[in-house]
Order: sequence, then structure tokens, then C-alpha cells
Amino acid sequence: MTRRARQCALAGLLLLAALLAPAVSGAREYLQLFVTEPYLELHTGPGRGYPVFNVVPREASVDVLFRRTDWFKVRTERGVEGWASLKDLQKTVMANGTPFRFNLGDLAGFNDHRYELGIFAGEYGGANYISMYGALSFNSQLHLELALGEFLGRYSNGVTGDLGLAHVVMPESRWSPLLLLGVGEVHTEPKATLVQPSDRTEPTAYAGIGIRFYLTRRFFLRAEYKAHYVFTTRTTNEAVDEWKAGFAFFY
Amino acid sequence: MESGIRVLLLIAALATLPGCATVHGWFHHGSSGAPSNAPAPASAAEDQAPPRVIEPEIARRDITVPKIRSRNFELGADYGIISIEDFGTHPSYGFTAAYHITEDFFFQADWGRSRGGETSFETLSQIQLLTEAERRFTYYDLSLGYNFLPGEAFIGRSRAMTSAFYLLGGVGGTDFGGDTKFTVNFGGGYRVVPADWWALHIVVQDHVFQSSLLGSTKLTNNLEARIGVTVFF
Repeated sequence: MTRRARQCALAGLLLLAALLAPAVSGAREYLQLFVTEPYLELHTGPGRGYPVFNVVPREASVDVLFRRTDWFKVRTERGVEGWASLKDLQKTVMANGTPFRFNLGDLAGFNDHRYELGIFAGEYGGANYISMYGALSFNSQLHLELALGEFLGRYSNGVTGDLGLAHVVMPESRWSPLLLLGVGEVHTEPKATLVQPSDRTEPTAYAGIGIRFYLTRRFFLRAEYKAHYVFTTRTTNEAVDEWKAGFAFFY
Repeated sequence: MESGIRVLLLIAALATLPGCATVHGWFHHGSSGAPSNAPAPASAAEDQAPPRVIEPEIARRDITVPKIRSRNFELGADYGIISIEDFGTHPSYGFTAAYHITEDFFFQADWGRSRGGETSFETLSQIQLLTEAERRFTYYDLSLGYNFLPGEAFIGRSRAMTSAFYLLGGVGGTDFGGDTKFTVNFGGGYRVVPADWWALHIVVQDHVFQSSLLGSTKLTNNLEARIGVTVFF
């Protein structure tokens, strides 16, 4: 075995160990919740349709092992493991008597959060466009955004990168317009059968408008239009329109 | 009249001041030449100490609420076969990452690779349309999944595993024949979760894109069937 192969194998094992570690480490302290309703229903799976196979009586407790979407895997004092819904668990109390609350995100969080991530599909200069973005909020109204995209068209393919500011006009509302301004780069690979023009990378600047709509929990929809100006080395600069709509979440 | 009352109140307040710990001894400041008049330090400490009614014996406990871990991410690898239109059926392999948003919906990103074979034209004419590098078939997809038929699968009497049929649909890109094409994908899968931390998937997915590799532009369907293993974390 060569040294490189051995290193690869070691890296693979470490990765595997890292992946499996949460599954095998059981020595952790879990959150204990006490039932205050007449009983707490335990389902066989993390979904509304899975049958109830066990109930936990009032004043008994459960340990919360982990969460998957709106469902929590819990273990009763007798060692029975099952799934309880967030809706039911919010009627339980913690050991100090305070009601259990778990925030999966709400409109208040949407108005005031730190990070955003999202994906879009749309059109860039007539070509199909797939893009993703991340945003860092300075305050509820001003965000710094980085967007990366790939356009796949009939005449050219390429990738884009944008860095700019987004201004949220009405941050407290479910619907809000956005104003966008920034700079970027576009790398274009033209497709030509007769003359093969070379690939080119050019700086761009953009101004745009958008709209965002809060869906539920940590999720929202977003659509936007950006007018790009590509500063070419040729005689004229180019204007490229970008339209896209997508889905994003905040945290 | 009012000022008279104010003076009276001030006098009353001043009279009570010597009892106050912070101002105790103000009136002795002037008598610096007579140290014998100053109270002994020990008795001063006794005077200043507040009377103890109940001795607190229990230290205040800081209760830390353990964080609840979420296991909404799924990461895994898969292996299968893909039928590349006009270029034969070949093995494919790839990686998948998913994020479960709700019990019904999830996001999925896929990356996969295969290799296109020879078209029947190439086989018959011995003319190669593509170079070896151009035959490499690489795709990526960003899809939304919907758990269409959640349920349970059973092995024997005592073992039940949660499962779901799911639908997938999304967009992405396919790099084949020296060009990257915008690709729409749709399909379905079956997921069995034997333990909370891992899942087994069987997926059938169609990758649809426009191709003009064989002269005319047409919509090509590239069906893939794969089996995969994912880990939740």
C-alpha cells in the first residue's frame, strides 16, 4: 500500500467515524419533560399517520433524545422509545416547572435574523439559470449577500458571482419589497461551431428589485430581478437581465 | 409655612442619619485630634453587620437545559445504472445530501457520474463522435422531495421500520458530450429507515435535457435507477 493510499484510507475512516459518532455515543444528558396533560401519546414514527402505541401518564417524565422536523424521539422512564409531536410536547413542563417551549422559527425571527440561505431557478440573459445565495444581516433592513449561479444557454454557458447589499423595505411585514445593489463577475464559455471564441471573465455591476414572502417557521419565498451591466473589453458594454424565483430559510 | 415644614422634615431626616451605615461616623470626622473618641474597629464591624435572621445554606443552582439535537440532514452515497439516450446503459455512482424541512417535504442535492458508450452509428461506422473525456456523464440536481406514502415496513413479527415512497422534482445541470445542459429531473424513491441514524434508498429518476449531439436537437430522457445508503445527522 502506498503512502498516499494509506492516507486516503485513514481520512476515509476518520470521516466514517465522524459520521457514525452521533449514532453510537449514548452517554449524554437529555432534556427531561414532565407530562401535565392526562397523557402523552407516543407514535411509532415521525409523522401524523403513524399509530399511537404507548401513552405516558400524567406526572411521568420522558427524556428527549433528538428531533426530526416537528417530531421528537423520546424515552419513557420504563425505557420505551417513541415519537412525540412538538404540539403535544409543548403541553409538558421542564424539571423546574416552566413550560417547554421550542422555537422552530416564526415571523418575529424572520424580521430579525442573522443568516439566510436559499436556492433559485430562473433566467439569465435568456439562458436557464440555477443559483444559490447566502446573506448576512447587519440589521433587519440591511443585508450583505453573496450569490453564485450557473447559466446554461443555447449560445453560451457560464457561471456568475455577485456580492452586494439588499435593503428590506418593510422588514416587519410578511411581504416585503427588496432593493438590490452590487458588483460581480461573470465567466462565459461561448458555444460556437464555426469560430471558437475564447472563454472570458468580466466584471459586472447590478441593480435590482425583489420581493420576499414569509411562508412558515424558518422558510420564505423570494423572487427578484437584477439588471446586470457587464464591463467588456469590446467596444460596448453589455446589459443582461436576470429573473429568478426560489426558496430560502433563515437562522 | 411650607418652608417651615421642609426644615422640620430635614431636621428629622438628619436625626435618623447616624443610624444609616453609609453615613455613620460623619459627625466624628471633625474630631481628628481625639482618637480615643473613635469607636474600636471590632465594635464598628459588629454595628455594621446586618442582623442574620436565616442562614442561607443552599447555594443557588444554575439549571442548564440540555440542547435537543436535530437529525434533519441526510448524507449518503449511491450506486446504480443509467440509460443515457443513444449512448447505452452504464453503471453510475453518486452522492446525495438532503435536508428534511417538514415531515412531508425535503430538499435534496444530488451529484452523479457515469460514462456514455458508443451510439449504434459509431459501432457500425467505426467513426467516433465523442472523445473519451466527452463521454463522461456528470450531473447535479437540486430537487424538492415530497413524502407521498409514508408507512412502515415489517421484517418478521417484532421488527418494524418506518418507510416512505417519495416524489422528487427539480433542476440542475448535466455535463456530457463537451457541453453542460440545463436539466430537469423528476422521479420517485422508496426510503426505509432501519435505525434512526441510517436509511436505505431505492430511487428511479429521469434526467431530461435538450441534446443536439446526433445532428437534430431533441429532448433526451436519461433514466437512472440507483440504490443508496444515507446517514442522518
